[in-house]
Amino acid sequence: MNSGQHEHMEDAQLVQDFRGGNHQAFNTLVTRWQDRIHHFAYRFFASSDDAAEITQKTFIKAYHKLDTLDDVNKFGSWLYTIANNLCLDELKRAGRKRATSYEALKIAPQTETATPADGTVLRNEGLVLLHKALLQLPVEQRVVVIMKEYEGLTFREIAEILDEPENTVKSRLYYGLSALKKTFDSWNINKEVFDYE
Amino acid sequence: MNKETARSLFMDYLYDELEPDQRNELEQFLSQNPGLKKELEELSNVRSMLSHLPVQDPAEQLVMVEPHKSGLQEWWNELIGGLLPQNGFARTGFAMASLLAVFVVIGAFTKLNITVDDGSFNLAFGEKQEIIQQGFTPQQVEMLLQQVREDNAIMISDAIQQAQQQQENRIEKTLVNFADYIEQQRQSDLQMITSGLYNMEETYYDRFRQTDQVLGELIQTVSTGN
Repeated sequence: MNSGQHEHMEDAQLVQDFRGGNHQAFNTLVTRWQDRIHHFAYRFFASSDDAAEITQKTFIKAYHKLDTLDDVNKFGSWLYTIANNLCLDELKRAGRKRATSYEALKIAPQTETATPADGTVLRNEGLVLLHKALLQLPVEQRVVVIMKEYEGLTFREIAEILDEPENTVKSRLYYGLSALKKTFDSWNINKEVFDYE
Repeated sequence: MNKETARSLFMDYLYDELEPDQRNELEQFLSQNPGLKKELEELSNVRSMLSHLPVQDPAEQLVMVEPHKSGLQEWWNELIGGLLPQNGFARTGFAMASLLAVFVVIGAFTKLNITVDDGSFNLAFGEKQEIIQQGFTPQQVEMLLQQVREDNAIMISDAIQQAQQQQENRIEKTLVNFADYIEQQRQSDLQMITSGLYNMEETYYDRFRQTDQVLGELIQTVSTGN
């Protein structure tokens, strides 16, 4: 079976094919999921290097552990679980100091030097601060915000990935969004900042 | 519905995971609670702002390279992969049939002989031979049993003797220890009695002297008075 035929197959079928010895099936899964895992890790760390490393590690681990996946229909959730655990491991390994050394935040906020008329500058600064605010959230809230807001996972899926009750996930999201609101207010960031294109 | 219940539904509402009935109920409740409605709108604004967060795509496409296999192994795997059916059930059947075929071929070469009679199952290779009954006669069995009984009796007798000996030794040791203790106690009592008598004698002597002295003084006083 060639890769063209694989593209139309469900994840579960690709997992079965890979288990049956079809190596190419796994590469189709990689192609299908690489962007999502990379985006998740990028939002988690705000670093493309870290995101690339986490993505690579995630797929290597998935390659070796795919036989242990009980329900082939939950490949996506399982992959996010691996990626999330790797992000948490990396955070522990590198320590808290990395929380302030993100490449996305290298541009220092210049609110005092920009003129109100310079909407593009404000918008760019707003985007930097947006990521900074996200990174300031406690890890468990940050993960939930990223998974819900950007990965579009359902509460049930997130609960499965994190192995937590659904209500805990919702609660973390509520507190995460509330904390972000307070941060945005204290930094004078509002919706209008992002309306400049 | 109260405020806490309404708040607990905020996340489902914001991310459109609320049942239509609950959604209507919440909206109705919010229309009567402007403060709560404002809170929800603010959270919705946060969502709206978060949606602007940029993201970077991966720089390169990952490809998992199949681990290198030796030529022979690869050829063998391909052969097996080609011969074996893909379905798991069919595979099991194929494996059992192969096993049976191998068994039959080996049986043919080794003149395998399988017989079942009188509730016994016999498996033999080569020419069938008469089974020779080998074993002990009843007399031999009786002798063996007798021998075992005698050995057991000797062993039990030895064990009892040994236990008795140990017990006697233990009692003797205990008696010796008791006698030593009594002797020590007697010596100690004698010493105590001797010491008591000596003390009594000393006390008696002191009192005797004191009495003499008092009497002497008394006689002197009486003599002086006269």
